[in-house]
Amino acid sequence: MAQALVRLRRVSRFYGERAVLKNIDLELAPAQVTLVVGPNGAGKSTLLRLVAGLLPPSEGEVETELPPGGIGYLGHKTLIYPKLTARANLAFWQSMFGQPRDDAAVTAVLSRVGLAGFADEEAGVFSRGMSQRLSLARVFLTAPRLLLLDEPASGLDPASAVWLRREIRAVADAGASVAWVSHNIAADLAACDRVVRLDGHRVAYDGPAAGFDAAALAGEGVC
Amino acid sequence: MLKAALAIARKDLSLALSGAQGLVQTVLLGLLLIFIMSLSREPGELSPPLAAAAVFWLATAFGQVLVFNFLYGLEEAEGARLGLLLSPAPAQAVWLGKALSGWVLLFCCQMVFAPAAVAFLGQTVAGSPLTGLAVVAAVDWGLCALGSLLGALSVGKSSRESLLTVILFPLLVPALLAGIRLLETVISGRGLEAVGAWTGTVVAFDAVFTAAALVLFPFLYTGEE
Amino acid sequence: MIRLCALAFAAASIIAQYLIWFHAPVEESMGVVQKIFYTHMPLAWWSTVSFFVNFVASILYLAKRRDAYSRLAGAAAELGVLFSGLALITGMCWARPIWNVWWTWDPRLTTTLVMWFVYAAYLLLRASDVGGQRQDTVLAVLGVVAFLDVPLVFISARYWRSIHPSVLGSQGGGMEPEMWLAVLANLVAMGLFWLALLAFRTRQLGTGAAVTALMRHGSIRN
Repeated sequence: MAQALVRLRRVSRFYGERAVLKNIDLELAPAQVTLVVGPNGAGKSTLLRLVAGLLPPSEGEVETELPPGGIGYLGHKTLIYPKLTARANLAFWQSMFGQPRDDAAVTAVLSRVGLAGFADEEAGVFSRGMSQRLSLARVFLTAPRLLLLDEPASGLDPASAVWLRREIRAVADAGASVAWVSHNIAADLAACDRVVRLDGHRVAYDGPAAGFDAAALAGEGVC
Repeated sequence: MLKAALAIARKDLSLALSGAQGLVQTVLLGLLLIFIMSLSREPGELSPPLAAAAVFWLATAFGQVLVFNFLYGLEEAEGARLGLLLSPAPAQAVWLGKALSGWVLLFCCQMVFAPAAVAFLGQTVAGSPLTGLAVVAAVDWGLCALGSLLGALSVGKSSRESLLTVILFPLLVPALLAGIRLLETVISGRGLEAVGAWTGTVVAFDAVFTAAALVLFPFLYTGEE
Repeated sequence: MIRLCALAFAAASIIAQYLIWFHAPVEESMGVVQKIFYTHMPLAWWSTVSFFVNFVASILYLAKRRDAYSRLAGAAAELGVLFSGLALITGMCWARPIWNVWWTWDPRLTTTLVMWFVYAAYLLLRASDVGGQRQDTVLAVLGVVAFLDVPLVFISARYWRSIHPSVLGSQGGGMEPEMWLAVLANLVAMGLFWLALLAFRTRQLGTGAAVTALMRHGSIRN
């Protein structure tokens, strides 16, 4: 396995006296899609935030090989400014990531996600599917080496969800690491290499996606 | 950091001026305050310059709370805060960007308040309006430095504007007092001997809270809810 | 430690009260009203110390992220608001007969009042759910900012007055040695009281947090 991008060593996180995660050991490697599953409140989102460095661990260490700006995020929140056009949204993130202003690059990613015809429309009028396409365009533009997904497919119609899954797989195949929080295990499992299941504040399963029995979990009512 | 801060400021300004809701509400509230305060003077009587300056800064202080709630609310609507934090720019760039855009917006609002205060409160300006603008701009920076720092309080699930007002207003007292006195001097042309002391207060306030915000802002603006 | 402080306070306050009423002479121009000073001054003094403790504990919390510091900061702020509130009230009771007004624009008065507002708002935020999971951090930042504001408030309040000189005369300065002794004794007694309250309240907050954790999640950290 290649050098891990992010390594969590015995990481715990408390909110006040409440434990959310306890003694987590986790490595995220390049070119790999890791599905993170678990019941509500198991600490999935907290885990993503710890990996992203947005949240300091209460105990333990988070080591990262990534430069600042090397992490991308795609979630049920779209990170879009509704009053700006699709193009202006992307141009803003371009300058936030220290890239020179480049209209051609913006146009290119917009056509890659199928929004070329809507570049100069206000993002506020976009449907859920179009907004998520715009978010993905933002991810493409900033080319992260680690992509964090927090239920990006929620609210998408089945066809868009299939398309999104294919794009995510392509991002990983191009060399990025993907950590993917999902409740729709049955559908998303096929696009993943590895599954991490959180339960009781701990890692309950960490292994290849092929050996993960989603049906049994569904029976327990975990998903 | 400067480049990112300017990008944020530019984005915020274009959002504020395109939607314009935030700005219009601020201007209206300030005008209402000035109008209501004007009721306190008898017909035909002029308000003292000190009272007029105080009303002007009161309107500014209320406007400031609205401005910064609006500016930080922009990042919350669709979770853009995460994107800002994941970008390679330091968190302080967000503070600086918001402070700059808040500064411009507040100044725009004050350009409406000033003539309103002169008209409703019956003032004649003796000093140079240019000096007045310089005073307003300098005091505004202190207000915005602190406003942008504490505006980050209104981030997350449980934001309440009224609480921000309660904590922000007493902290602003030094800057507001200095602003009131300096503006009184500009309006009336009297009290020139104290200008140096008040200018020093304004500079100290600006410097202390700019430095404090640069150190403290990353603690406040995080990925937590 | 708490019990020791409380006992020491009880003993010291008996001595201090004795010194106020029987040892220190009645001030000539102000009369018996001046005795308020022996309570007023220690209250004001220890409220300032409270705010300083809050400031230091806030910095320590930001640096070390230990909940104990946050609780210490909270307890100190509560005491600060209580003591400065009492100092303001006792001050007003004194000012009414002496200066003939309840309130005047004096730098110290104004600073105390403004800081009372700031820390009362701080306590309000503490009691509310502002900041959610980040509440402790938010409060620590506020604690630092609030204390940085103190000198600025004082300076601006002083300038404000120097331009419009107050007609009220300055308070009689010279105090007799017996008076100084009474002041000192009261300062010490009040300090012991303050320390006992601070330690007690900090411990209480810690116990409260532990109990909440037990009830909600069946486990205490560590």
